[in-house]
Amino acid sequence: MLSPNLIPYRRNTNNPDNVIRIIGSGSIGGKAQGLVFLQHLLSSSEIFNSYPEIQVIVPSLVIIGTDVFDVFIENNDLQKYMDSDHTDDQIAHAFQQAELPFLILGDLRALVEEIRNPIAVRSSSLLEDATYEPFAGIYTTKMIPNRQFDPDFRFKKLSEAIKFVYASTFFKAAKSYRDATGHDHQEEKMALIIQHIHGTRHQARFYPNMAGVARSYNFYPVGRAKPEDGVVSLALGLGKTIVDGSLCWTYSPAHPRIAPPYGSINELLKNSQTEFWAVNMGTPLIYDPIQETEYLIKADLSTAERDGTLKEICSTYDPQSDRLQIGMAHPGPRALNFAPLLQLKKFSFNKIIKELVRICEEELENPVEIEFAMNFSPPSLGLLQVRPMVVSSDDIQVSEEDLLDQNALAASENALGNGLIDNIKDIVYVLPETFELEKTREIADELEQINQELVNKGSPYMLIVFGRLGSSDPWLGIPVNWGQISGTRVIIETYQAGLSADMSQGSHFFHNLTSLGVSYISLPKGGKRELDWDWLSEQKEIQRTSHLRHIELKSPLGIKIDGKSGKAIVLKSRGDND
Amino acid sequence: MEDTSYNPFMMAQKQFDNAAELLELDQSTRDLLRFPLREYQFSIPIRMDDGQVKVFRGFRVQHNDARGPGKGGIRFHPQETINTVRALSMWMTWKCAVVDIPLGGAKGGVVCDPHDLSLLEQERLCRGWVRQLARNVGPLSDVPAPDVMTNSQHMLWMLDEYEAIHGAKYPGFITGKPVGMGGSLGRTEATGYGVMITVREAMKELGIDLSKTTASFQGFGNVSQFAIDLYQQMGGTPVCVSCWIQKEQKAYSFFKKDGFDLKQLLEITDHFGEIDKAKAQDLGFELLPAEAWLEQDVDLLVPAALENQITGDSVNKISQQVKIIAEGANGPTTPEADVVINERGIHVIPDFLANAGGVTCSYFEQVQCNQNYYWAKEETLGKLDQKMTSAYLDVSKFATKNKLYMRDAAYMISVDRVAKACEARGWV
Repeated sequence: MLSPNLIPYRRNTNNPDNVIRIIGSGSIGGKAQGLVFLQHLLSSSEIFNSYPEIQVIVPSLVIIGTDVFDVFIENNDLQKYMDSDHTDDQIAHAFQQAELPFLILGDLRALVEEIRNPIAVRSSSLLEDATYEPFAGIYTTKMIPNRQFDPDFRFKKLSEAIKFVYASTFFKAAKSYRDATGHDHQEEKMALIIQHIHGTRHQARFYPNMAGVARSYNFYPVGRAKPEDGVVSLALGLGKTIVDGSLCWTYSPAHPRIAPPYGSINELLKNSQTEFWAVNMGTPLIYDPIQETEYLIKADLSTAERDGTLKEICSTYDPQSDRLQIGMAHPGPRALNFAPLLQLKKFSFNKIIKELVRICEEELENPVEIEFAMNFSPPSLGLLQVRPMVVSSDDIQVSEEDLLDQNALAASENALGNGLIDNIKDIVYVLPETFELEKTREIADELEQINQELVNKGSPYMLIVFGRLGSSDPWLGIPVNWGQISGTRVIIETYQAGLSADMSQGSHFFHNLTSLGVSYISLPKGGKRELDWDWLSEQKEIQRTSHLRHIELKSPLGIKIDGKSGKAIVLKSRGDND
Repeated sequence: MEDTSYNPFMMAQKQFDNAAELLELDQSTRDLLRFPLREYQFSIPIRMDDGQVKVFRGFRVQHNDARGPGKGGIRFHPQETINTVRALSMWMTWKCAVVDIPLGGAKGGVVCDPHDLSLLEQERLCRGWVRQLARNVGPLSDVPAPDVMTNSQHMLWMLDEYEAIHGAKYPGFITGKPVGMGGSLGRTEATGYGVMITVREAMKELGIDLSKTTASFQGFGNVSQFAIDLYQQMGGTPVCVSCWIQKEQKAYSFFKKDGFDLKQLLEITDHFGEIDKAKAQDLGFELLPAEAWLEQDVDLLVPAALENQITGDSVNKISQQVKIIAEGANGPTTPEADVVINERGIHVIPDFLANAGGVTCSYFEQVQCNQNYYWAKEETLGKLDQKMTSAYLDVSKFATKNKLYMRDAAYMISVDRVAKACEARGWV
């Protein structure tokens, strides 16, 4: 039943480029299915031949089947950690002490002797495959340099990475996610992908010139762009920047020359990427096999400039004209707006992406999300993942008049989700008077606690926060993971003075929320309606912490979200909505 | 006492002659490799617990060390002869060469029956053996290991004596030590797993889906148990295993048509590897005569007990379904049976290739000892898999390319490697 592109791993043989090899047996999980599909697409479609200047590939990979995961868990008696209260670190540590099944050891050793490139060990979950639900960002990916001279050392690092990714199946966020999606923990099995990282080495750093995510449906079209045009996010370096929800460049592939609607050049500069992730090819900062970023480093744009990796993706601010000049002919602040690529069209990058998204959408009969990485010299586009997007189709309409309803707690033209929600009586909100960016980690901890109480009680709730929820950067918003807010059904992100970050849109965190049916309402600065803070403060308080307030309403809120127009209204009482 | 009816050394020489002929070796190389390079025969006087002194006969034969320090076990056996030790030392040379580890072949022994000796007497015997040989063995020249009726405790006594004589720590002098005292993790599994690694590769080559195969095993000792373990992990179905019942002084074959579960069988097995007959019957096993293990309709036979088990008489009882014989034991097939097996086209994985996992892991132990740095089990077993897989593929590719019987191919590769090492050193 294997795809023609999927063959068992054989040692001591030359493997053709257009195949994916599997070690062990069992399922290959959702992510790997996506890669097998992409590999098949590339080898069977001639469409990409029209763009000879860019090589389109699926970077070489080997899959480890889910049966290996089962044997690993059973042999080492690790199942007990599934229903325990152990912390993620304790679980990761226990997994590090465990032994990988003998069945794969020889193949893994042969693999590290075969590969001398940096590699990423990525999860490929069975549930992701079976349910078509994206588990992006829920499980861990570990990147390792794999360049040490001694194969024993490389083998050890690969084993550690595998055990760490396996352990992430048992981490708190993964458990919460499965609970929220109604899955039994026992159902989940993990296949693994061991894949070459698509990039090039620049001294002690290994990274692609650019990583990106292309989605065929845009929840937040701006200007002339339509939702069906899709949206592309780009970042310098590893895709972690995008996955984590950090600053990156987002544009509509139908209008690649149109920049996001920043009010000024200054705002654009502040909201464009200034740091990037790379694999650390030098001495690791610290030995820590249970840390996802053990072999990753962050560097700034001046480093990238020295590496010569900015040329195709940046513009330079010219203070005399107060404008951005495409490229880097002159010294000055660099802005990563990808203008040489998108405006000068040095490569057919955007055309290929559009074509790719179109074909994948056709073949998978669903809106899709594609992850990729690109090198410019020589130009090659590495496809890293394709997965379906969940886009609601209920016919709900919110009119302009609705937005002006006097009984509204909030109204927005930037909402995501679709449908009527009328069972929420609990609201948890960040206290505006005590909110400070330097306290966002504390807020995350407090939120986790309240969330747990509400989940135990079985009460869905609405969450109101400032900034970019789920950002890994605490200076952009509250750095929660999914598990810490698993009971929320509606999220309102609003602004506060001094907080310059974009809202969550576009991040993986955000995508997961939406696919789980969590509605999302954005109240950006300058929006038509302000949140009614006074009304909130008058409601019955259940709990108050240093930074949060939990209130319970007498009657449920009336929430109406129009997925097509992106308009949403939150009425203070369901009754007014009847 | 010399056994005149069966001279294993002559058999070993015959096998070598056959390979030398196929390789067209020159006369001087043949003369060198037909005999051991060195032999030590000595007396070990031991004061027994009752105060009397008893003299034991000891041996160490170093067949060839052109590729590296000699490697081979020390046997305590009442019927030990110099010819047995010579033959075994020669086989060790070929075994180390076929898995391409940088060691030569050696073997040692003492004519004794440890059952008749107290632990203190055994300790004195071990120390006495080392005192006689302390200048002729060592981590850089000849590395002993446990063998018939010797175990990790004996190895520790020998190591201790050796270190006392030389006044320093030399954990690499001897292998088969307990884990934590210079032993290697994975050593227990190594031989049995090694057998199954070669089976796995053979099945891949022959296009057989291992998960759809059945197998029968002779013996239920360490090698067989771990071979069954890995076979089952890979999806195979073991249906028969023979086992020695000490009380009855005879063996039985335990058969379960739909396959048995190793874990279940181990629960009714004592630490000598003896299966409880009555409990086995309760679990649905049929008890068949000892030799029935050979006659089952299975895809794989694994003789993992004693030598000379598949003979000219019994070979014809092998089912037509059998596709592979993996020799877990040393010399389980007689030359007459070998001819028949070859004619029937059964794929044989010869003993010194199939069961080389043990010596390979001993080599790893020595490497770890010499570094005084010990590996994780998965590192040891991963390397074992690699070594065994490469060794199997080398032999099978050579056999296919030159249209040779697997045993001949294995011999030719080994002898050729050793002959080239002798030539490179300028010995011949």
